[in-house]
Amino acid sequence: MSEAGIRAKGRERIWIGILLFPTLLGLAVGALGSIAATFGLSFFDWDMFTPPQLVGLQNYVDLLSDRKFKKALFNSIAFSAMYVPATVILSLLVAVLLNRHVYGKSLFRLLFFLPVVTSPTAVGLVWSWIYSKDQGLLNSILGAMGMDPVYWLGSKMALYSVVVVNVWGAIGEGMIIFLAGLQAIPRDVYEASMLDGAGPVKQFFYITIPLLIPSIFFQTILSTINAFQAFDYIYILTKTAGGGSTVPTLVFNLYREGFNFFRMGNASAQAVVLAAMIMVLTLIYSHLQKKWGQ
Amino acid sequence: MSNAHLLKPTFANHMRSNALFYVLLIGGAILMIGPFVWMVSTSLKVPGDQFDRRLIPARITLSNFPTAWELMGFSNLIWNSFKIAALSTIGQVLTCSMGAFVFAIVKFPGREFLFVLLLATLMVPHQMTIIPEFLIFRWLGLYGTAAPLYLPSFLGGAFGVFLLRQYFRTIPIELSEAARLDGASLFDIYWRIYLPLAVPALAALAIFSFMSSWNDLFSALIYLPSDLEKTTLPVGLSLFQKLYQGKWTIMMAAVLISVTPIMIAFFFVQKQFIQGLALTGIK
Amino acid sequence: MKTLLTAVSALALSTSLAYSATEIRYMMWGDPPEIAVWQQLVADFEKANPDISVKVEVTDWDSYWEKLRVQTIGGDAPDVFAMDAPIYPDWQSRGTLLNLQPYLDANPDTLKGVYEGPLKAYRLADGFYGLPRDFQTIAMFYNKDMFDAAGLAYPDASWTLDDLKSAAAKLTIDKDGDGTTDQWGISTEVWDMEPFWGPVVTAFGGKIISDDFKTTLMDKGKALDAWNFITGMVRDDHSIMSDEELDSYGYDGFIANVAAMTFSGHWVIPAYNEATFNWGVAPFPKGPARRATLVNSAGIVIGANTAHPDEAWKFVSYVLSEEGQSTLSALGFAIPVRESVATSPVYLQQKSRGDHKLFVDALDYAIPKPSFRGYEEWSAAVGDPLSLVWTGEMSLEEALDEIAATADDTLPN
Repeated sequence: MSEAGIRAKGRERIWIGILLFPTLLGLAVGALGSIAATFGLSFFDWDMFTPPQLVGLQNYVDLLSDRKFKKALFNSIAFSAMYVPATVILSLLVAVLLNRHVYGKSLFRLLFFLPVVTSPTAVGLVWSWIYSKDQGLLNSILGAMGMDPVYWLGSKMALYSVVVVNVWGAIGEGMIIFLAGLQAIPRDVYEASMLDGAGPVKQFFYITIPLLIPSIFFQTILSTINAFQAFDYIYILTKTAGGGSTVPTLVFNLYREGFNFFRMGNASAQAVVLAAMIMVLTLIYSHLQKKWGQ
Repeated sequence: MSNAHLLKPTFANHMRSNALFYVLLIGGAILMIGPFVWMVSTSLKVPGDQFDRRLIPARITLSNFPTAWELMGFSNLIWNSFKIAALSTIGQVLTCSMGAFVFAIVKFPGREFLFVLLLATLMVPHQMTIIPEFLIFRWLGLYGTAAPLYLPSFLGGAFGVFLLRQYFRTIPIELSEAARLDGASLFDIYWRIYLPLAVPALAALAIFSFMSSWNDLFSALIYLPSDLEKTTLPVGLSLFQKLYQGKWTIMMAAVLISVTPIMIAFFFVQKQFIQGLALTGIK
Repeated sequence: MKTLLTAVSALALSTSLAYSATEIRYMMWGDPPEIAVWQQLVADFEKANPDISVKVEVTDWDSYWEKLRVQTIGGDAPDVFAMDAPIYPDWQSRGTLLNLQPYLDANPDTLKGVYEGPLKAYRLADGFYGLPRDFQTIAMFYNKDMFDAAGLAYPDASWTLDDLKSAAAKLTIDKDGDGTTDQWGISTEVWDMEPFWGPVVTAFGGKIISDDFKTTLMDKGKALDAWNFITGMVRDDHSIMSDEELDSYGYDGFIANVAAMTFSGHWVIPAYNEATFNWGVAPFPKGPARRATLVNSAGIVIGANTAHPDEAWKFVSYVLSEEGQSTLSALGFAIPVRESVATSPVYLQQKSRGDHKLFVDALDYAIPKPSFRGYEEWSAAVGDPLSLVWTGEMSLEEALDEIAATADDTLPN
């Protein structure tokens, strides 16, 4: 942190208070207060109509035997295990390709970025057709090749189908972060290695990757958070008649518990578990970064 | 910019030695925009041709657009979404720039601690805050209104503050010091010097806020009743999906209508936007 | 197309006769044609009660529940609103409904002449927190033209489920010989128990849920015979339209003229009246154990926090009165809950086609659609796996295992 800056004198300090007020209020109420409140609520049974009842750890104990929760937990973990590496690797790949001298660079950048900009709800509808069992784009291609249709959004395939769409929607953002990281690598490092006779592949593994470690960790953490919070595409693509989903994730399950079935205590306990998982993963990542990043 | 000066390639040479890269890039780009192309193509087809697997429609019609518009009451949805997104954008740009200004150039005790604390909230999943946020808005009597969708934007936010702070710090501190000698207050410096000089970063944050608000499905699902008069575009589209199952030409027209405003907006500010996003990746 | 728009958007219509009148708000789900009838009912009511005005809000089914949930949690529930019997206990247990017992005690004649079947669903230990507004029983609709073309006799009261199975198989036809079916025997849904599997399970002597609502029974005992019967039709005969096929025909293959039979309530009659083909109605076919159908009842309730309980009660009791029920039955959707109206020419001789008496007579063999705390969640735990059987993704055995493992957890002890 640089030490440049100016000091407020006397009555001027009030400006610090005024300018910082919204941010601090957001921090206190929106973030810290909410975390405390969610944590607190997880020890109650509450349907939002009748008075809350203190139940201690019961909500957490219930989660252990809650099949829906376990299924959602499994789905979220499986989703992240595929989504995070796929997003990081693919967006790194695109960024490396675009970091070379290519014609139409900004056009490519725009095209890869387009899915990030457009609403998941809207584009999700396009995907729901691509995946549609009957006459959907993928199945009609399969059909033309004489293969049986696949139920892409049914309970067997939906997890993979949804991962593909989410990765598709996230590559653009990762690409930008990696491009920024790549541009910070001094040119002469590459030039020196070329004089030593290193090819592009060798350069990639011996120069690009090590120097990009901070960006890779940053992007991994970001993707992990996004993975556990993924909701929109899952809602649009896998919703069932009864308000359930063929791939209920933790967020989906939590939304339903809290806002459809009015079990706020239970939903809060799930939120706490979800947050704890993200925190632990973030800690592991930053530990690894410290170990390998030097 | 590139290592071109080492090889001094002609266009043909360049293409030959980089063919593989272009194949990969073009292939990737096709996968990325494929769904959009398919969407446009379908929205131009007559309903009877929706399953014909042709990329170029055999018969082109524009009638899906007015039909979708009328069925959905699009004018309501767009107006609701626009109102919320515009207010969110104003809130974010205003309050984040205020916070970022202080964190970037004003020294005061506890600044570093507060800033790190703020950054740490980036790691907190939204789910942790949904329920209390919901309870607060209910307590304020704002449940069922659009306020919960834009009011939080008036409380700053780690992302926006961080992004703008990075930019503010590239503005030479000497400018402020000179202004101080002329008797300018902190607010004057913020308003007269920093805001005008940070327009590119502000634009990036603006489009960011607008986009995430315009695309937000979750909050609208929670706070607003799902009827087409009150709700936003994403919820409207998901209702539309339920009501007009299988009518793909009309649905694709509806989707196209709903993504067009944001695409146009993005097209004009893409440079700032991408630079803005890149800033967040730099330490 | 325009009507669809109105169906989706909430329509508010207010009739303010006297500006000093107390206004109460009544919210219900429904289709645009229902609005006109309710408008008539409200106008009559306001004429008799000049000091009260009623504002009616009509929304489609899905949005209705979202809207009601939002308004109720937000402390702004309507004074009077529509209720569906199966989820009535859930809404009642949250303390959101006003106990009507004091009003009923003061006006003991209110319920005289109301059918016991629909009434039962709303009777709780400490009284009524809502009253039935109309009721529905499920019958079989058949396409006469398709039966004629296949040379089959029309279904009648003597039909058994085996007759249904064999006729459905014969009516499933690949007309142009291209290898894909163009006409199916049956169009129905499997997610909700009401139209088809509830009656079939009962007809085989099975039960849907235990009497204390603590144990799911639709996956056990005699009910399994019913499921084998249904799977046979789905898997072997392909005579029931799959989910994807229904999807292509707007979820009703009968009105789309591609399915010979369907199972539905009286509510479809106004729409089916517009059909271009000839159709008839028959009772739900008999099973090995008995003949069965489900009866479900839409109700009318008063919000617990209404500022005008007396005015709201006046409106509710008017809806149940002979006059109110007559106006509503003119609509042609539902069956009046008052015997005197259901057996009167107003209901029996309405303009629409069909045997209207058959739906009332069905009360003799109908069982109530289960109604208990946790219904919404339980019905999803049961319906979601069953839908997967329909889409061909899960075997029936897998679905029933899944139901056995999850459904009981959704029931409050």
